[in-house]
Formats: sequence, C-alpha cells, structure tokens
Amino acid sequence: MPPKKAPSAASPPPSDVGLLEEIGGGFLGAAATVGGMGMLGYQILRRLVTFRIDRAETLRNLYRMGVKSIPIVIVTALFTGAIMVIQAAPLVVRLGAQGLLGWGAGFGILREIAPLLTALMINGRVGANNTAELGTMVVTEQIDALRVLAIDPIAFLIAPRFVAMVTTLFLSTIFADTLALFGAAYGGLGLLGVEPKTFYNGLTSGLLGLNDVTSGLIKSIVFGIVIALSSCQYGLGVKGGAPGVGRAVNATVVASAAGIFVLDYFVSFTLD
Amino acid sequence: MSAAKTHDEPAPPSGIDQAAEEPDTSIAAVVGAQAIELVGMGLEIASVFIRTLYYCFRGRPDFGAVVRQMFEIGNRSVVFLTVVMGFIGMILVLQGGLQVKRILPEFSMVGASYLELLVRDLAATISALMLATRVGAGIAAEIGSMVVTEQVDALRMCAADPIDYLIKPRFLASLVMTICLVIWAAGVAMLTGMLTAYIMFDVNPRTFFNLHLVDTGDLVVGLAKCLAYGAAIPVVAGHSGLTTHGGSEGVGWATTRAVVNASLAVIVLDLILSALGYVLLGP
Repeated sequence: MPPKKAPSAASPPPSDVGLLEEIGGGFLGAAATVGGMGMLGYQILRRLVTFRIDRAETLRNLYRMGVKSIPIVIVTALFTGAIMVIQAAPLVVRLGAQGLLGWGAGFGILREIAPLLTALMINGRVGANNTAELGTMVVTEQIDALRVLAIDPIAFLIAPRFVAMVTTLFLSTIFADTLALFGAAYGGLGLLGVEPKTFYNGLTSGLLGLNDVTSGLIKSIVFGIVIALSSCQYGLGVKGGAPGVGRAVNATVVASAAGIFVLDYFVSFTLD
Repeated sequence: MSAAKTHDEPAPPSGIDQAAEEPDTSIAAVVGAQAIELVGMGLEIASVFIRTLYYCFRGRPDFGAVVRQMFEIGNRSVVFLTVVMGFIGMILVLQGGLQVKRILPEFSMVGASYLELLVRDLAATISALMLATRVGAGIAAEIGSMVVTEQVDALRMCAADPIDYLIKPRFLASLVMTICLVIWAAGVAMLTGMLTAYIMFDVNPRTFFNLHLVDTGDLVVGLAKCLAYGAAIPVVAGHSGLTTHGGSEGVGWATTRAVVNASLAVIVLDLILSALGYVLLGP
C-alpha cells in the first residue's frame, strides 16, 4: 500500500474516524493553532519593535475595547468582591476572627479572582468581538483589499488590536482589583457586619505584600497576550460566510478561556 | 501572509466610522439610556424564559432534538471542562496552600475547606462560566446564523414558534447536562487538587479528602446553583441569537453579547444564591 493513498473507496469516510484518529487530529489542530499564534506573535513583535503600527487605529481600538468595557468590569468586580466575602465567611465565623476577613478575601481577589474574572469577561466581550470583526473583514475580502493597496494588514489592523487589548486588560485589572476590594468591604458590612475599617486593617496588616498585587498584574498581561493572539488568529482564519464567523467566535472564546486557565497555573507556579 | 513589505505608514482609511461613535451627552443621559436598555433586555429575557417554560409543559414533545442537544452541550464540552477544571483545582490548592503557609504552617484543613468551597460554589460557578462561554457562544452562533439566513422566519411562517423548536430543546438539555457536567468537573477538580496538595505541600490524600465540613446546606446551595445556571445560559444565549440582525457581523455581535450576558447572569445569580444560602442556611 503506497503511503500517500488519499481519499479512495477503501479509506473510511471522514465522518466515522476512529478514536485514536480523532484524538490525534485534535492534538494536531491544537498544535497548528498554537503554532499559528506564535507566528502571528512574532510578526506583531517585528512591527512593534520597528514602530510600524498605526497610531490612530490603536487609539480607536483602545477606546472601543477599553472605555466601552468599563461597565462590565465594574459590575463583575463589585459582584465578585461580594461573592468572595460570602465564600470567606465560614472561615471567619468558625475562627471568630473578623480581622482575617480582609486578608482572606483580599488574597484571593488580588492574586487570582480579579485578574481571572476580568480576563474572562474581556475575553467574552473584546476577544469575541475582535474575532467577529476581523472575520467579517476576511469574509467580505477587506483584508485582501488592504493588501492590494499595499497596506500591511498586520501593522494596520492586528498590531494595534494587540496593543490595545493587552493595555485594556492590564488597566482593567487594576481597576477591578480596587473595585472588588471595595465590593468586598461593603459586602462584608452588609452580610457579616464587619466594619470596612476592620476589613481595611486586615488588608494592610502586613500579611499581604506588593508581590501579591504584581503577581495578579503579571497574570493580566499574560492573559491579554493570549486573548489578543487567539482572537486575531481565529479571526484571520475565518472561512465560509456568516456561519463561519459564528464558528470562529465560538472557537476563539473557548480557546482563550482554556489558554487563560492553563497559563494561570503556570504563572502562579513560577511566581510564588 | 505578508512578508517584509517596506513602506511607510500610509494615511489610514479609518476616518469613515470615527464620526459614527455615539454623540456624547451628559452622564445622566448616558447612564439613563443604559439603564432603560438593561431593563428592557431583562424583560425580554424574562419573556423568553416564561415562554420556554410554557412550551416545556404544553409544546410538542421532541425527544430527538433534546438528545441531540444533550450531546452537543454535554459530550462536546467534557474535554474543555476537564482541562479547565483540572487546572482550576491545581491553582486553587496552590494558592490556598500559599495563603495558609503565611499564618500557620499546617495544612491539615486545606483539604476540608477546599472541598467545602468546591461543593458550595466554585465547581458550579467556574463550570458555568466556562459553559456560558462555550455553550452560550455555540447557541447564539447557531441560532444567529439561522436568523440571518431567514430560517427562523421560515419557522414562523410555518406557524412554529422558534422558542418551541429551537430554545426549548436546548433549555431541557442544558438543565440536565449542566448538573452532570458540574458533578464531573467537581470530581476532576478534587482529584487534581488532591494531587497538587500531595506533591507541593506533602498532604496525605487521606487527610486531604476530608468531607466533614461539607453539610447538606452546601450541597443544596451547590445544586441550586447548577439548576439556575443551567436554566439561565440557554435562555440568555437563545435571546441573543434570536435578536440577531445584520449579516455575518450581526452573528459575531450576537455571539459576543451571548457570552457577556450569560457570564454576567452567572455572576449575578451566584451572588444572589450565595447570599440567600448564607442567610437561610447559615455559614
């Protein structure tokens, strides 16, 4: 049997592939996507190093991605802060240590929950939107039009989005840290009767340091890079009209979410 | 892709939609418009939910569609959810262990608190956030494509309510599969958490797997969250899908809105149910 016997009558139809083939295909697909993201990242980096990036487009994207996401970030952060207090409550009630509430909730918020949930919400809003926009441009052949006009699509479209997304996520995380602590302080007052002053003392009693905050912020930069690369990669790879755009958006949010959690572990692991 | 193209930045043709950004009026007007929009959307989603419930009892039974959606929502999410929850288990135990290490270097209670937290909140909420992303985006993209290609209008022409045909099967499937997936996810997170505790902090798996902090109240709150999220995600995403307009860009917008709204719904429901559980069932 020749090694390259492409679809013939003997080979099974692609619909009922074996389990092994399916797993292998999945891994190959994932590897191709990650490789594509790496290549895209390299191309973006080359534009960034030589400052070949469109300034007006960057500012426009910063407004659309950053400023317009503020309401979602506010709501998410306030609610998450309150949820963290409720989850830390059993600990406080059992040990009878109200002073620990600020530390318990603050540790989780600063190191983990605020960067993670902000990244998930920004992924849903900005990442998905970005894929949809780029996908529509691909489907309606606007990217080809840019190439015809000798405008580099990476420098004009992709690099500004990359910069805007990473900046947005970094700034949103700082914002979300603050608001989540605020939500936690007042959630603690409403539900547990812990004064915000006690909460604040728990936060600043020396158990939490600057490296807890920076650990969360480094994570946010990593998440921003993941979201930006995957949403651009999937957006540029859209095929097949409106359903294709929908599928690409679906694939990008799933891929970014999985990437966020996987990298979260490795960043936590290397930083501690 | 584009190789090294040597050119200086040309004048960007981006002036077209710069003027199309919204006219900025006073803050009160902007906030008010947002609030009115939010309330209107909430009412629409409530109406979709009530109609879905009505069709669950009075509509035509279609087990085939429900089973297909169960496969689509459940089986196809298993790998994604397993990866995410596996890493979540490792992260939480790692962070929890680091947190405990700062006050008392004694890890015997890490397992018990972690399992309690997992059962009452995190297993359900993190899985639901992931499902809101995966399932919500999928539902909105599928229904949105149907709206754009006028298949939903064709359904209406045949006197078939799209909610009965499209949303009800997804609703029932999601209700069942969310519970199954959350239980699976909790198992995965427990296992990876146990392994992390054993490897990083040398906690014996027997000590770690300590269920005495988990009581009936925790279980009730956890299951109530599963049900609420399972109901909310398909309804919110289905609403976004059905209100799609415009071509392929519209589908993209609908998918984005579905993910954001479903995630927000999960977070809001989490706060409501956690607070209720805390007030009614105690800490």
